[in-house]
Amino acid sequence: MELRKTHIYQYHAEHGNVVDFGGFAMPVWYEGIMAEHKAVREACGIFDTSHMGRVIAEGPDVVKFLDYVDTNDISSLTDGKGIYGNMCKPDGGIVDDLIVYRLSAEKFLVVYNAGNRSKDFAWLQKNTKGFKVKLTDMSDRVGMIAIQGPSAVDVLAKISATNPSTIERFNIAPLTISGFECLAARTGYTGEDGFEVFILDDPVATPTKSPRVWNDLVAAGAKPCGLGARDSLRLEAGLWLYGNDIDETTNPIEAGLKWVVKMKKPSYFNGRKALEGIIEKGVTRTLLGIQLMERGIPRHGYEVYDGEKKIGVVTSGGVAPTLGESIALAYLPPEYKEPGKEVQIKIRTNLVKGKIVKHHPFYDETKYGWKRVKA
Amino acid sequence: MTDETKIESGLLYTGEHEWAKPGEVVTIGISDYAQAQLHEIVYVELPKKDANVAQGEAIGAVESVKAVSDFYSPVTGTVVEVNEALLNNPEKINSDPYGDGWIAKVKPSNWDANAVKLMDAEKYKQHLTTLKH
Repeated sequence: MELRKTHIYQYHAEHGNVVDFGGFAMPVWYEGIMAEHKAVREACGIFDTSHMGRVIAEGPDVVKFLDYVDTNDISSLTDGKGIYGNMCKPDGGIVDDLIVYRLSAEKFLVVYNAGNRSKDFAWLQKNTKGFKVKLTDMSDRVGMIAIQGPSAVDVLAKISATNPSTIERFNIAPLTISGFECLAARTGYTGEDGFEVFILDDPVATPTKSPRVWNDLVAAGAKPCGLGARDSLRLEAGLWLYGNDIDETTNPIEAGLKWVVKMKKPSYFNGRKALEGIIEKGVTRTLLGIQLMERGIPRHGYEVYDGEKKIGVVTSGGVAPTLGESIALAYLPPEYKEPGKEVQIKIRTNLVKGKIVKHHPFYDETKYGWKRVKA
Repeated sequence: MTDETKIESGLLYTGEHEWAKPGEVVTIGISDYAQAQLHEIVYVELPKKDANVAQGEAIGAVESVKAVSDFYSPVTGTVVEVNEALLNNPEKINSDPYGDGWIAKVKPSNWDANAVKLMDAEKYKQHLTTLKH
């Protein structure tokens, strides 16, 4: 099967190491994961995120509809505000995680994972029943680039008509970039300050604007980054990867996402009853961070032990280039949540010692991440 | 395979891209092709010294940020030395896969039987051309 190409594909083919990522031809790295990771923690890196799902939801019932499918409080949003949340099945299992932005009172932008594009659109469509709302999949008509790192705002400012520094975290606003009409959101998936920009009216079959914005960003000093660095950066930040750390068999409560489940919002939402039950009964497992104390690299699927007893499985793991350590996320019984508690991860035939550490993020926030930028 | 892929003559190769340098003690490692495929190697799990190993047995692993590649012994015998320098500098496998990036030295117990199952440089080159990447 031929791989789907994004708006920036031509650049990837010429400069990157391209692989099949969920049916899309995407770069794992250009120069190398380590250098790209470092660029984002220390300066500015850019990622092609045009493979993600982007849907416009509009109509008189759009708020009610989104509050029905999303665990977070959509009615709390004012124009230009975005919010991270989950979509759950009635049993509380996570269909996907997503960001919803209010563009105007009856028009919202919904952004979700690339690998779930068809599933999510069908899920949203199915749930529109009874609501006056219209969904339009914009994914193939809009380009998307993430600009991330402590100097992201300066790099983006160089090629924008107005200064993007006025856009606050999790806000979205129109911005003219490289002369083109775009929307710029102050969000990302790296733990750093930065933007996710939507390049409007740029069909994926004949993209002209998005490649131009990409090239202008590179010329302005941004380092092109592939999916490898995207994964190592989000892991260090303790951000959930759908398909690894969360999926339809996990719920937001055990995943450490209770903060996006708003039981106090007035309306019913998918999964509410099940999640209330889970909160009342207490979880049997919870997503925790582990740092290895011996050599080795934990990977998705490796088993976690306490002595002889198997206590869980690694959902994401790898080297943390910023920390110079090996780290992992794993679902473990809640009694293991105390930082410093020792566990072992089975790496091939060896049980390698690790300890529980805080994981959202794994790094010191006074040194890395978006919070230090303002400090 | 790219034009820059180095294949050292005098070594014998496995289909999984390990090499063996014949001698009283056989030095083993991974090929230039293998290191290039992995890219940035960040960790090596070395074979255990004094272990008896069999040709084709997984005796260690070489890991990049994204991938794990098992290391299969190209030779049957006893591990007499391992390259401990790789523990702190695994990137030596990237920079010098046939030299400083060697992984272990094995005293062979039946080298002739092992050798017939390995490819010489010319055959290994042919083998690489049959691979997609």
